[in-house]
Amino acid sequence: MSLRCEGITKAFQGVHAVNGASFDVPDDRITALIGPNGAGKTTVVNILSGAMTCDSGREFIGETEVTNWPSHKIARRGLMRTFQLSRELGGLTVLENMLVAPAHQAGDSLVNLLFRPALVREQEREHAERALELLETYGLYGQRDLRARELSGGQKKLLEIARAVMASPKILLLDEPMAGVNPALIERIGGYILELKQRGVTVLMIEHNLNVVEQICDYVIVLAEGRTLATGRLSELRENADVVKAYLGEVIDAGAPR
Amino acid sequence: MQLFWLSVGFGLVTASVLAISAVGLSLQFGITNYINFAFGDFMALGAFFAYVLNNQVLHLDIWVALVIGSVALGVFAVILNRLILAPFARKFSKSHYVLIVTFGLSLILLNLQYSIWGAQVRFFKMPISAALHIGPLLLTRNQLIVMGIAVVLMLAVHTMLKTTRLGKSMRAMSDNPTLAMTSGIDTKRITTITWFLSGSLAGVSGTVLGISEGNLTPASGELFLFVIFAAVIVGGVGSIYGAMAGAVLIGLATEISAAFINPSYKLDIAFVILILALLIRPSGLLSRAGTT
Amino acid sequence: MVYYVFTLVFFLFDYFILAMGLNIQYGEAGILNFAYIGFVAIGAYFTGVFSLPNGAGTGQHYILGLGLPFPVNLLLGGLAAMCFAWIVALIALRRLRTDYLAIVLISLSLVLYDFCNNYVSLFNGADGLYNVPEPFAKALGLSVNSFIPFFACVTAVVSLLMWFVMSRVMRAPMGRTFRAIRDDEVAAAALGKDVFRMQLKSMLIGSFYAGIGGGLLIQFGGSFNPTAWLPGETFVVFAVLIVGGAGNNIGMFVGALFVETLLIHLPAFLPEIPGHPGLIEYFDNAVVGIVLMLVLWFRPQGVVPERLRRAASFGVRERQDGDPATDAAGLAAVHAAAGLRGGQ
Repeated sequence: MSLRCEGITKAFQGVHAVNGASFDVPDDRITALIGPNGAGKTTVVNILSGAMTCDSGREFIGETEVTNWPSHKIARRGLMRTFQLSRELGGLTVLENMLVAPAHQAGDSLVNLLFRPALVREQEREHAERALELLETYGLYGQRDLRARELSGGQKKLLEIARAVMASPKILLLDEPMAGVNPALIERIGGYILELKQRGVTVLMIEHNLNVVEQICDYVIVLAEGRTLATGRLSELRENADVVKAYLGEVIDAGAPR
Repeated sequence: MQLFWLSVGFGLVTASVLAISAVGLSLQFGITNYINFAFGDFMALGAFFAYVLNNQVLHLDIWVALVIGSVALGVFAVILNRLILAPFARKFSKSHYVLIVTFGLSLILLNLQYSIWGAQVRFFKMPISAALHIGPLLLTRNQLIVMGIAVVLMLAVHTMLKTTRLGKSMRAMSDNPTLAMTSGIDTKRITTITWFLSGSLAGVSGTVLGISEGNLTPASGELFLFVIFAAVIVGGVGSIYGAMAGAVLIGLATEISAAFINPSYKLDIAFVILILALLIRPSGLLSRAGTT
Repeated sequence: MVYYVFTLVFFLFDYFILAMGLNIQYGEAGILNFAYIGFVAIGAYFTGVFSLPNGAGTGQHYILGLGLPFPVNLLLGGLAAMCFAWIVALIALRRLRTDYLAIVLISLSLVLYDFCNNYVSLFNGADGLYNVPEPFAKALGLSVNSFIPFFACVTAVVSLLMWFVMSRVMRAPMGRTFRAIRDDEVAAAALGKDVFRMQLKSMLIGSFYAGIGGGLLIQFGGSFNPTAWLPGETFVVFAVLIVGGAGNNIGMFVGALFVETLLIHLPAFLPEIPGHPGLIEYFDNAVVGIVLMLVLWFRPQGVVPERLRRAASFGVRERQDGDPATDAAGLAAVHAAAGLRGGQ
C-alpha cells in the first residue's frame, strides 16, 4: 500500500512548522525520514496519521485521498503509527493493550454482548492467542498481566511496536523507534522492522541514527525547514551538497557509531 | 426606551460583579491550570465575612467590611491551597482528581456556611441611596460605587500584569510553567500570591453581589457560578482581558434580556449565550492560541 | 422499624444503579460528568409525568400525564434521560476537553435546576411532582406500609439485572475501548477507535442508568422536587464511586452501602437538634466531602480496586516464558500469524 503527500503546510501561530512537504513513500520498503531538529518531521508524521490537520496540501493512501481525515479513520485504512514518547495505555495490562488494536471486534456492539456472548468469547480467545504470540516474539510475554505503566522505557517502546503490528497494518509510521534505547535493543527492533518489510508492510521511520538508516533503510527522505530537501538512497544523498550542508554536514563521520 | 436604559444600568452593575469574579477565576486558572469549582463558595464566604463585620460583630461601614472581609478571604484561599489543593495537584498528574477535590471543597464550604449561618436570607446594613441620573442611565450611589470598584480593580490588574515583575512572572508561568520554573521564577511564591489575589477578588465580588442583589445566602455564590463560567468561556479561557470582555457581554445581555423575557430566567440567558458561543466560536472572543 | 430498614435497602440498590451509570461515564470512559444528577432528575420527572394521569384537576402543573403502567413509565424515563444525554454530547462533548466540559456540565446542572424550579408548567416548579402512583400497589392491594419493602425488593431485582448487563459490557472489548480512551485518547484514536462515538455510547448507557435510578426514586417516594437534586448531589454519586472503587461493580455496591446508606440516610433518622434545624444534614454533607478527600488522598483506587483481567481468563493455551524469537524464521511465523500480508 503506497503513501504519498503533496505540498503539506502547517503553521503554528504564524510559524511554519511544515512548509511544502511532498514525497512518495515507496511500497513495501523501509524509508527513513531524516532531517535536522525542527525540520518538521514529527509534525509531518502527525499530519499523515491524522493526529493533526494540515493547512494545505493533500495526502493519499493507495488511490484514496485521505487529506485531513481524523486519525481513527486513517488507522482503519491500514496506517498505524507509533509515538516518539511511548503512549502506552497505562491502566490496561500489556495484553489488554494488544487487544485494543484489532479493528471490527464483535464485542464492540452491545447487541452482540447481550445476545451472542459465545461469539464474543471465541473471538476474544482468538485475538488473545495472536496477541500472546506477538508478545512472546517481542519478549513481553512475561509482562502480559502487568499494567502497562509499570513497564520499563525499552519495554514500552517494544509494546508500542507490537501493538501497532497487532492491528495488521499495511503502512507503519515509526517516530524514532530507537530513541533512548540500548544498543542490543536497537538491533532487536531493527530485526523486527526488517521482518515487517518481508511481510509487505510499508515502513516510514523518523530516525536520527544514521547507522541504523544505513543498515535497514532502502530509501531516505530528507526534510529541512519544513520542506522536502531531497530524496534517494543514503549513498547518493551523501554526495548532495545541500543535504550535507543542512544535515549531514553536522556529523563529522556519518559512518562511525554514535 | 426608559426600560432599556434601566436594563443597561443593571447590566453594567452585573458586568462589574462578573468582571471582578471572572478575572479572579482566570488569574488562578492561568497559574494552576485547573478550575476551582469552589469559587462560588469562596464568594459567598467572603460576603459572609463582610456580613459578620457589618451586621453582626463590629457594625462597620459596608465598604470597610468589604475590604477587610476580602483580605481575610485572600488569606483563607492561600491556606486552603497550601493545605489541600496544592498537595492534591502535586500528587495526581491527571487533572480530574483535583477538579473532584474542588467540587468536594465546594460542598464542604457550602455546608459549613449553612451550619454556621443557616439557610435564612441575610442583609447587609447599608444606607439606602437615592438614584442618580447619569446621562440616560439611572443608578444608585451604591451601584456606582460597585462599578467604580470594578473599574479600579480591572485597571489595577491590568497594570500589575503589564508593568510589574510579578505580573510578568505570572504571565510567564501561565504560558509555560516548566520554562518559568527553570528561568528562576519563584513559582511557589507566585502561586501563593495568585491565590491571595483570586481569593480577595472572590471576596470582593461575593460582597458586591450581595450588595447589588440586596440579599445573601450561603448558596448565592454557587448559583452565580455558571454565569462566571459563561463569561470566562465566551471571552476565551486563559485570557484575562477575555474574561473582562465576556463579563461585559454577559452582564449586559442578561439584564437587557430581562426586559423581554420572564426575569426569573435572566441568568439562564448567560448559559444560552455560552452554548451559542461553543457552537459558533469555540475558542472564545480573545482566547490565547494554543489553549485546548 | 421495618420500613426504616427497607428504606435503607431501597436507597442502597438505587444508588448502586446510579453509581453504575456514572461509572461507565467516568470510571470507564473518563468523562467528568458533573451534571449527572441532572440526568437522574430527568429520569425521575419523566417517569413521573408518564405515570401521572392528565394534569388538569390534580392541582399540579406538568407536561404529558399519560398514566402509563410500570415498567413502561420507568423505561421511558430512562429513555428520556438518554435523549437528553444525546443532545448534551453532541453540543458539549464534541468540542470540549476535560476541564471545560466539566464547567459546561456543572453549569448545565445549575441551569436545569433553575429552570425546573421556575418554569412551573413543566414539572410543577418548586413544589415538584407528587401523588405519583405506586407501581403495582392497586393491583396487589398493597397498603402504604407494605409497599416499601415490596418496592425495595423490586429495586433490588432491577439493579441486579442492570448489574448483569454492566459486567458484560465492562469485561468486553467495549469496556476495554472505554478504558483505552480514558487512559490516552490520542493513542486510542491512533489505534482506530472513534473516540467521540465511544464517548457518546458511554454517555448514553450511563444516562439510561441514571434515568432508571431517578425513575425508581420518584416511584418509591411518590414525589420528587428540586430540593432532591441540587447540583451538589452529583458529588454524592461521585463519592459512592470513588470511595467504593471506580471501575469495579462490587466496589460500587460497597460505595453505595457506605456512602449512601451509612453516611446519608442513617443520620436522617437521628432526632433534630433543637434550635438548629437541618444542622445534622449540613454536617453530614460536609462529612461526605471530607471522607472523599481522605479516600482520594490515602487510597485513590477505593475500597475495592479495579480488577486486572489476566491472560489466563481468556481461555488461551499455556505457554513457557521463553526468550524472544529473534531468528528470521520465528519472526516470520509470528508476523504471518498476526495477519500481515505474505512476503517474498
